[in-house]
Amino acid sequence: MDIFKIEKSKLKQFLDDLSKKYSVFVPAKQDRVTSFKEITLNSQLSTLNSYNTDKPPKDIFFPQTETLFTYDENSQLSTLNSQLSKPIAIFGVRPCDAKSFTLLDKVFDSEKYTDTYWKERYKDALVFALGCNNPLSTCFCNWVGGGPFNKEGADISLIDIGEAFLAEPCSKKGEEVIHKLSLQKATEDDLKKGNQLKNEAESMLSKPVEISSLKEDLDALWNSPKWEEIARKCLNCAACTYLCPTCHCFDIQDEGKSSKGKRIRIWDSCMFKLFTQEAAGTNPRPTGKERMRQRIMHKFNYLVETIGEFGCVGCGRCIISCPVNLDVREVIKEIKKVRN
Amino acid sequence: MENVYMPIPVKVKKIMVESDDKTLRTFDIAFCNEKDRFDFMPGQFCQLSILGKGEAPFGIASSPSEKDALKFTINRVGNVTTALHYLEEGEVIGMRGPLGNWYPVDKFKGGSVVIIGGGFAFTTLRALIVYLLEHRKDYKDITVIYGARRPGLLLYRDELAEWEKRDDLQLHLTIDKEVPEWKKRVGFVPTVTKEVAPSPKNSWAVICGPPIMIKYTLPVLSELGFPQERTYTSLERRMKCGIGKCGRCNIGHKYVCSDGPVFSYAELQELPQEE
Repeated sequence: MDIFKIEKSKLKQFLDDLSKKYSVFVPAKQDRVTSFKEITLNSQLSTLNSYNTDKPPKDIFFPQTETLFTYDENSQLSTLNSQLSKPIAIFGVRPCDAKSFTLLDKVFDSEKYTDTYWKERYKDALVFALGCNNPLSTCFCNWVGGGPFNKEGADISLIDIGEAFLAEPCSKKGEEVIHKLSLQKATEDDLKKGNQLKNEAESMLSKPVEISSLKEDLDALWNSPKWEEIARKCLNCAACTYLCPTCHCFDIQDEGKSSKGKRIRIWDSCMFKLFTQEAAGTNPRPTGKERMRQRIMHKFNYLVETIGEFGCVGCGRCIISCPVNLDVREVIKEIKKVRN
Repeated sequence: MENVYMPIPVKVKKIMVESDDKTLRTFDIAFCNEKDRFDFMPGQFCQLSILGKGEAPFGIASSPSEKDALKFTINRVGNVTTALHYLEEGEVIGMRGPLGNWYPVDKFKGGSVVIIGGGFAFTTLRALIVYLLEHRKDYKDITVIYGARRPGLLLYRDELAEWEKRDDLQLHLTIDKEVPEWKKRVGFVPTVTKEVAPSPKNSWAVICGPPIMIKYTLPVLSELGFPQERTYTSLERRMKCGIGKCGRCNIGHKYVCSDGPVFSYAELQELPQEE
């Protein structure tokens, strides 16, 4: 497959062109927090060169708060923006986050039920995944089947070689689009440089812990006192789940009065007691122990059972954001230790 | 693309106060638009919603053949159920469904079925009983054991009286403590089950009720020789989406909403034991 080149000096022009056909999202900094924002005429691309965004990009397809429908005094229901004016393009998403889209898609567009709100945004989306030349010490994509230059979930894979990005189409959609973009082909030297950067980055990651048997390890650990120990310092603040690119749990609430209002869905978290609190008073996950176990089991056991993959892409955001330094890699190691 | 979160409009046709403490009401719910009508099977549930208050899941208590209206019996316990209890006949509410799986009535064919219920967890069991009676020739003996704390807490009392007169259904009603007006059986469901359950040979058991009842009845069924593969229950969990996306009603890797709510004990045995 041909590999192309996007000159950084022409990047603004490139993105402007792209935004004629797409709603283009790029990393942006606001109030000291980096996240993906839709590009506007005055957008600055200041954060493209830095590390992964503080917030994961999942909210582009699955907003933190979203109106399912509004209703009026005649109980007429109407959905907003069910049709997008333009498909979404994301430029500069990291490989771990690109992969998270494929996991979320398996949940939201499952065999039994399709979530139209998700599908409407994701089905035509164009994902430019930017390889990580400088993985952080908290990155562990290589533990869970990923890598700093992985292409899963990407339509076009990018490598930052300094003056330019190498752009390699890695899906049918990406292939179609890239040929319409009138880009220069990459030279032998460019490719060599890309490869070198890739090798360097991969060597920067810590050696992965072997977790192919983690599902079985967890099966055996259900009743272990270890869960209490792991959960002991957790504050149940849920920062880990809100900043997780693959966490998809949500709540549905009505806002407004009976005569006028809306039904919304908002991100929710298994770390909260109310998440499973039943009206009659019972709660299957009454303490932090059960909730910690749920979070770990969902990611490393249940999803392996239902979709055949870990529900974790190794982005490390839960490690960075945890106020009590609870490190999911240490949890995994502990679990393996109990079993051995 | 069908939007699975959009409720359809339905009309409250009739409201019946079901229990003597008035905390249970049965609602007959009719489709406002014929095009929204759906088929379902006994054991499935719907999300009923009141705009501004929210949604909650309820098992369908009527059989698919009862075309006039769907039946729901609702315990007043939270925000949505309280709002539902304030409804008057004729009002329009929202409904999503049918959701979840159902009792495996096809598997039951040619066999005997014992249905064991306790308290107000009798709703989808009613749907099942009516369904089995409508297809009576497909099944051998049908035994129903139904217990409540006191007579006034038994659901569908007029219908129970009708069923008692039938000779193709063995109905055993029981209450926990003796009261003057009660001339029938007194005793807990597990004890009654021990006494009246049919032979486990080619039989299926369906059990629904408060956890304490289930806890003490399951060993009885197992002692009688009912294998876990042929003992079914219907579970409840806090739910929101009802379609396996919002992530809260799981037991292990199964979602009660979309993989259940009906499970055999053999299936549940495979899952983590989360209380």
